[in-house]
Amino acid sequence: MSKQLGAFGLFVGALGAVAMAANPAAAWEPSKPVEIVVAAGAGGASDQMARMMQSAIQKNNLMKQPAVVSLKGGASGGEALMYMKSSEGDPHKVLIAYSLIYMLPLSAKIPFNWRELSPVSVIALDQFILWSNTTLPHKNVKEFIAAAKAANPPFKMGGTGSKREDQVLTVFTEKKTGTKFAYLPYKSGGEAATQLVGNHTQANVNNPSENLEVWRAGQVRALCVFDKERMQYKAKVTDKQSWNDIPTCKEEGLDVQYLMLRAMFLPGKVTPDQTAFYVDLFKKLVQTTDYKEYLEKQALKPVFLTGKDMVKFLEEDDALNKNLMTEAGFVAN
Amino acid sequence: MASTDTEIVVEDPNAPSDDSPPVTSVRAVDVVVSLLLLTLALVLAVDNWRTGMSWDFAGPQAGYFPFYLSVILGGACIYGLVGAYRSRAETAQAFVTRDQLRRVLQVFVPTLLFCVFMQWLGLYVASFLLVGGFMWRIGRIVVWKSLLTSALFSLIMFATFEIAFNVIMPKGPVEALFGY
Amino acid sequence: MEAFSLLLHGFSVLLTWKTLALMMVGLVLGIFVGVLPGLGGPNGVAILLPLTFTMDPTSAIVMLSCIYWGALFGGAITSILFNIPGEAWSVATTFDGYPMAQQGRAAEALTAAFTSSFIGSFVAVLLITFLAPSIASFALRFGPPEFFAVYLLTFCSFVGLGREEKHKIVISMTFGLLLAGVGMDTVSGQLRMTFGWSELYRGINFLVAVIGLFGISEILLTMEERLALRGHTARISLGVVLKVWKELPRYWVTLLRSSAIGCWLGITPGGAIAASFMSYNLAKRFAKDKESFGKGRIEGVFAPETAAHASGTAALLPMLALGIPGSGTAAILLGGLLVWGLNPGPLLFVEHKSFVWGLIASMYLGNVVGFLLVLTTVPVFASILRVPFSAVAPMIVVSCAIGAYAIQNAMFDIWWMLLFGVVGYVFKKIGIPLAPFTLALVLGNRAEDAFRLSMIGSGGDLLVFWSNGLVGSIATLALVLLFWPLISSAIQRFRKKEG
Repeated sequence: MSKQLGAFGLFVGALGAVAMAANPAAAWEPSKPVEIVVAAGAGGASDQMARMMQSAIQKNNLMKQPAVVSLKGGASGGEALMYMKSSEGDPHKVLIAYSLIYMLPLSAKIPFNWRELSPVSVIALDQFILWSNTTLPHKNVKEFIAAAKAANPPFKMGGTGSKREDQVLTVFTEKKTGTKFAYLPYKSGGEAATQLVGNHTQANVNNPSENLEVWRAGQVRALCVFDKERMQYKAKVTDKQSWNDIPTCKEEGLDVQYLMLRAMFLPGKVTPDQTAFYVDLFKKLVQTTDYKEYLEKQALKPVFLTGKDMVKFLEEDDALNKNLMTEAGFVAN
Repeated sequence: MASTDTEIVVEDPNAPSDDSPPVTSVRAVDVVVSLLLLTLALVLAVDNWRTGMSWDFAGPQAGYFPFYLSVILGGACIYGLVGAYRSRAETAQAFVTRDQLRRVLQVFVPTLLFCVFMQWLGLYVASFLLVGGFMWRIGRIVVWKSLLTSALFSLIMFATFEIAFNVIMPKGPVEALFGY
Repeated sequence: MEAFSLLLHGFSVLLTWKTLALMMVGLVLGIFVGVLPGLGGPNGVAILLPLTFTMDPTSAIVMLSCIYWGALFGGAITSILFNIPGEAWSVATTFDGYPMAQQGRAAEALTAAFTSSFIGSFVAVLLITFLAPSIASFALRFGPPEFFAVYLLTFCSFVGLGREEKHKIVISMTFGLLLAGVGMDTVSGQLRMTFGWSELYRGINFLVAVIGLFGISEILLTMEERLALRGHTARISLGVVLKVWKELPRYWVTLLRSSAIGCWLGITPGGAIAASFMSYNLAKRFAKDKESFGKGRIEGVFAPETAAHASGTAALLPMLALGIPGSGTAAILLGGLLVWGLNPGPLLFVEHKSFVWGLIASMYLGNVVGFLLVLTTVPVFASILRVPFSAVAPMIVVSCAIGAYAIQNAMFDIWWMLLFGVVGYVFKKIGIPLAPFTLALVLGNRAEDAFRLSMIGSGGDLLVFWSNGLVGSIATLALVLLFWPLISSAIQRFRKKEG
C-alpha cells in the first residue's frame, strides 16, 4: 500500500517538476529521476552508501525527483567509469567514486581520466584496518609480523580485487617489514571477510564496514588502522572495543598509511548551475542525521570538500596514488 | 461423473504446410556453425596468447584458461566437421522448410525492428507499435482490437515498471511530452 | 529439532500481509506463464526477475519461487487439457493425462496431477528442511580448493553423463566458459577478450543470455509449428477431488518411489526430465496390467508429476548450499541471488539465516496456497489459451526486452538478447545442448577464480586438490565422472572376458 502511495507521491512530484521547468527564472533542478551510479556490485560499501543516500534524500525531501541506484560493477567498476564518460552533458547521473578513478586507468589501461568528469564534492574518507583471525595466537602487529616472516608457505592475505588499494597496502606492508604474503584477490570485501573467518586466509585489509559483523561476532581481531590518527568513534562496537581502541599501524611500528576518498562526480560538460544544485544537495545531505548515523556505523571519516578545495585534494591524492601504484609495480605498460 | 466438458478450439489459418520444400539441411547448418565457432576459437586463442597464457610462479596468467578453452573448442569443432564429412551419405534432414522460415522471419523481423525503434522511441512506444502491428498484420486481427490491446498492454507495463516498481526503462519523445 | 525451530523462525519472517500478497501475485503470474505457449518455468522466472530488483531479498525470492510453483502447476494444465506439454518434463504427464481428458475425466486427471505435484514437492521440501542445518555446520570448511572441486564435479558430470553427442556438449560448455571469461579478470585485474571495445568491459551477463536463449528462441521455435489447438475445459468439483483423494492410499508405493527418484535426480543436475520419465516407466513396469498405461490410467499421471515436482524442488538445494543450480530455473534464481547481493554457497546458511529459512518456509506455504489456487481456478487459466498467439508472441518479446534491459540498464544488452535468441534457435535445431552453456556462463568465472586462488595459496602446487579428505574425494569423483563412458565400457569389456 505504502508503495502505491509513494508512487502517487512521485507522480505529483513529477508534475511539480514540470511546473518548475516551465518557470525559467528558477535555478536548475533535475527534471527526471537521478541515477546514483555505483562502481561496484550489490551489497558492497558503495552500494550501501548509495542506498543510504537514496533513502535520506527521500526521507528529508531534499530533491523533488526520486533517486534510483544503478549498479555498474562490471570490469571491477570500470563499467561505471566508461558509463559516466559516455554520458557527457547529462546532469541526471551522479557517480559515487572511490580510489578506482586513479588506479583502474593505470592498472587495466582503461581510457579514463577523472578530469573528464565534473567533481561535485568529497563526502567522506574510508579507513583500512589490518585484521587477523582470532584463532591465531598473535595478539598484536609485532607478533603477527614475526609469525608471518617465519611462515612457510607464506601467510595468505585476502583483499578485494587485483592491483587495487587492498593489494597496494599489502605490498607496502611487505616492503616496510620485509615479509612476504600470498595475496588472494576476492570479488568483494564480504567474501574476503568470510574466508578469513573460515581460516582459509590468515589476514585481510578490509574497510571497517566490510568486517564489522564478523568483528562483532568475535571471529576476527583488529590489529591496527592504516592512518595517522586513531578513529574518532568511541562507542563500544564489540564487547570490549570501540573503533577508537584500535591502535594506528604507526604506533605499532608499521609505518603505512592510506585513506580512500568517497566522492561524488557528475559527467563532463554539465553547466555550473547544474553542478551548484548537486553541491547544495550533498551539503544538505551530509547534515542529515541519517548520514551521520551511517558514517558512525561504517566508521567513515567525515570530510566535506567542494570546488577548488576538492580539485586541489584530488590532484594531490592522484599524485599520491600514482606513486604508490608505480612503486608497487602495478602500472601496466 | 465428469464435470461439464466444453471444447476450446483455436485455429491457425496460416500454419506452415507439411510438404513445404526444405530451405537447408541440418547438416549444412551444423557445418556452418562449426566453421563460425572455429573462427571464433582461433581469434580468441590469438588474443589470449597475447594477454599471456603461461604458468606464472603463482598459478596461471589471465589468458591461460581462455587459451586452452579455445583450443578445446576448436578441436571439438574440427571433430564435428570430420564427422559431418564422413556421414555425407546419410539422408539430409531438413533444418527448416520454406514455410517455417517465412513464419520465423515473421516474428524475427518485427523483433529486430522493435529493438531498433526502441533506441529512439523508447520501450513503451516501440512495444505499442510491435504488439499492435503484429496482431494486425500477422495475426489478421481487426485494427481496433489490435490497437486497443497494444495500448492497454503498454500502459499496464508502464504503470507496473515505471511507477509501481521504479524500474527505469529507456524512454523517448512521447514520454517526455508527459514529463517522464 | 534445530530444523524445526529454524523453520518456525522462517514462518515468522514470512507471515506479513505484504509477503503473502506477493506470494499470491507470484503464483498467479506463475500459472499464467506456465500455461502460455512459448513460456514456462525458466523463461517466466527470467522475464519477471527484474520486478524483484528493488525488493528486499526475502520478498523477492518468495515471489520468484512462487512464480516457479505456479509455472509447475500451469504446465500440468496444458498437458492434460490440450496434450501440449509446457515443459519437457510434462511430456510424460500427457501419456495418460490427455486420454483421461478425452474420456471426459479431465477434472479427475487435473486433481491427480495437482495432488501428486503437491506431494512430490512436499517430500522434497521436507528433505531440504532436514538437510539444510547440517550444511551450515560444514560451510566454513569451504575454501578455494573445495569450491573449485565442486565446480569441476558439476562440469565433469555434464560431459560424462550427458546423453547428447559428446563433442556437442564440449562445444556448448567451452563456448560458455569462454564467454564467461570476457571482461575484467578478477585475479590479475587485466582486461581480456574485449578487443579494446568498452561495451565488452563488463562482460556478458548471464541473465541476458538466458532470456535470449530461452525466451526469444522459444518464440521462434513455437512459430515454426502449427499453432492450432483443440482441447477440453474442466471445472473441478469437490466430489471429484474427494474421489481422487480416496484413491491415493492405494498408490502409496508409486508416490513414494516417484518422490525418491525425483529428489535424487533433482540434486544431481539436469534431473527433472529424466525423473518424470523414469518414474513413469517404473510405475508401468511394476504394474500388473501394463496395457492399461497410456489409455488414461490415473497412476500414469501420479508417477511423472510427483517425480517432476520433487526434482524441481530438490534442485534448489544444491543451488542454495553449493551455488550449483540443479535446473534451469534454479540457475536463474541463482542469478537473482547475486543481483540482490547474496552469495549462494555454504555460507549463505550461516550469514543469511532469515533469508534461507524464509525461503524454505515459503516453499511450504507457496505449495499449499498454489495447490488450492489451481484447484479452484482451472477454467480461468485454461481459457487463456483462447488468446491468439499473435497477441501473446509480441507481448513475450516485449517482456523479454524489459527483462534484458533492466538487469544492467544497458541498451547494448538488448542486442545481446537478440543475438542469443538466434544462437539458441540454431543450437537447439542442430542438437547442441543449451544447459551446459548456461551452466558454464554462470559458473565459469567463479570456477576459474577458485582455481587460481588455490594456486596462489599453494604456491602453484596442484596437489592442493587432494590435500584433505573433503576436497580430495570431490576431485576424484569429478575425474571418474568425466571419464565415465570410458570406464563403464572398460568394465563391460572386462565382464565379457570373465563370462
